[in-house]
Amino acid sequence: MRYDVIVIGSGPAGLSAAITLKIRNKSVLVVGNAEVSEKVEKAHEINNYLGIPAVKGSDLAKQFLDHAKSLGVEIVNHQIHTVYAMGEFFSLQTTANETLEASAVVLATGVNFGKPYPGENEFLGRGVSYCATCDAPLYKGKKIVMIGSSKKEEAEADFMSEICSEVIYIPTYQDEVDVNENVQVVREEPVEIKGGLKAMSLATKEQEIEADGFFILRESVSPGQLVPGLAMDGNHIQVNRKMETNIRGCFACGDIVGAPYQYIKAAGEGNIAAISVVEYLNSLKK
Amino acid sequence: MVKKINSEEFKNEAMKGCAVVDFSAVWCGPCKMLAPVLEEVSEEMGEVNFYNVDVDENQNLAAEYGIMNIPAILVLKDGVKQDILVGFKPKETLESEIKALL
Repeated sequence: MRYDVIVIGSGPAGLSAAITLKIRNKSVLVVGNAEVSEKVEKAHEINNYLGIPAVKGSDLAKQFLDHAKSLGVEIVNHQIHTVYAMGEFFSLQTTANETLEASAVVLATGVNFGKPYPGENEFLGRGVSYCATCDAPLYKGKKIVMIGSSKKEEAEADFMSEICSEVIYIPTYQDEVDVNENVQVVREEPVEIKGGLKAMSLATKEQEIEADGFFILRESVSPGQLVPGLAMDGNHIQVNRKMETNIRGCFACGDIVGAPYQYIKAAGEGNIAAISVVEYLNSLKK
Repeated sequence: MVKKINSEEFKNEAMKGCAVVDFSAVWCGPCKMLAPVLEEVSEEMGEVNFYNVDVDENQNLAAEYGIMNIPAILVLKDGVKQDILVGFKPKETLESEIKALL
């Protein structure tokens, strides 16, 4: 089925957008997590949320969630890998290789994503890749380095080891690594991707590792990566006062569009984004 | 229309005039998403020839142009490489980036 709107992110901006969209009778799916948002959850005390003084973050999160649920907002726990702007609709690829479709998208992901390594953006598409399953066959019989930010990326390293001649896996997490025998695990801190016309090596604090391909797999990706073609303003998504991005039908709100990183500002922007979405959906029907 | 060609047809056809060559593969998700978008762009740019090359079937050609990640769109003007656009792009972006190169 094609939803009217898919909201990515279940923090105050995403849930605020979702409730307004529900009230406006749109079909909405929120892709996020069951704990609302880690940031809200962990806040000790919030003192400037209008009407709810001195509230614990975890209590406010629960109120957000109860409110959304009382209106029948559906929240699923997927991770979106890429949002493709297909023209009249959006196709959202999950990391489990499923596809979701929506006429409009609201990005409310928050700002919890890693900084790129020096050289990463420069060599993206020229030896640097974010998607093992997408680009693997290009590195058949070649040597690759994979940087994994969480345990679940180990499956990707195993997958690559069946295709490549040599796989070096660099975990950036502390847990024990459990991968195929032919995957070489290197516990060193990545510093920079170097090269000329294409990426040639990864410098760590200890050494320089030469390879043909460099795969960087992170828990959450930066918005420019998430939505190919999205215009950024530094680390934030560029929006206007209606929360419209440069891509028609794609809206953004909350911390990801810029400071101040305040809950009530995020919720307010979610509301604006929702109303702009409604306007956009109506324009499609004409 | 985007015409599927091999290395030999590439040498015969794509080296003259303005040509946009989409390097893709059947196993590549973003390539599949890009295909219909590029098709739409091609409809709006009648004076330019659009081609598709399968990188698995034409590995030498892909290597010749240094294709490292796909989808990759090679833009040629009278056989001279203008640039290679890498990755999926929304229609408006794709169209304006191709136009800027030709």
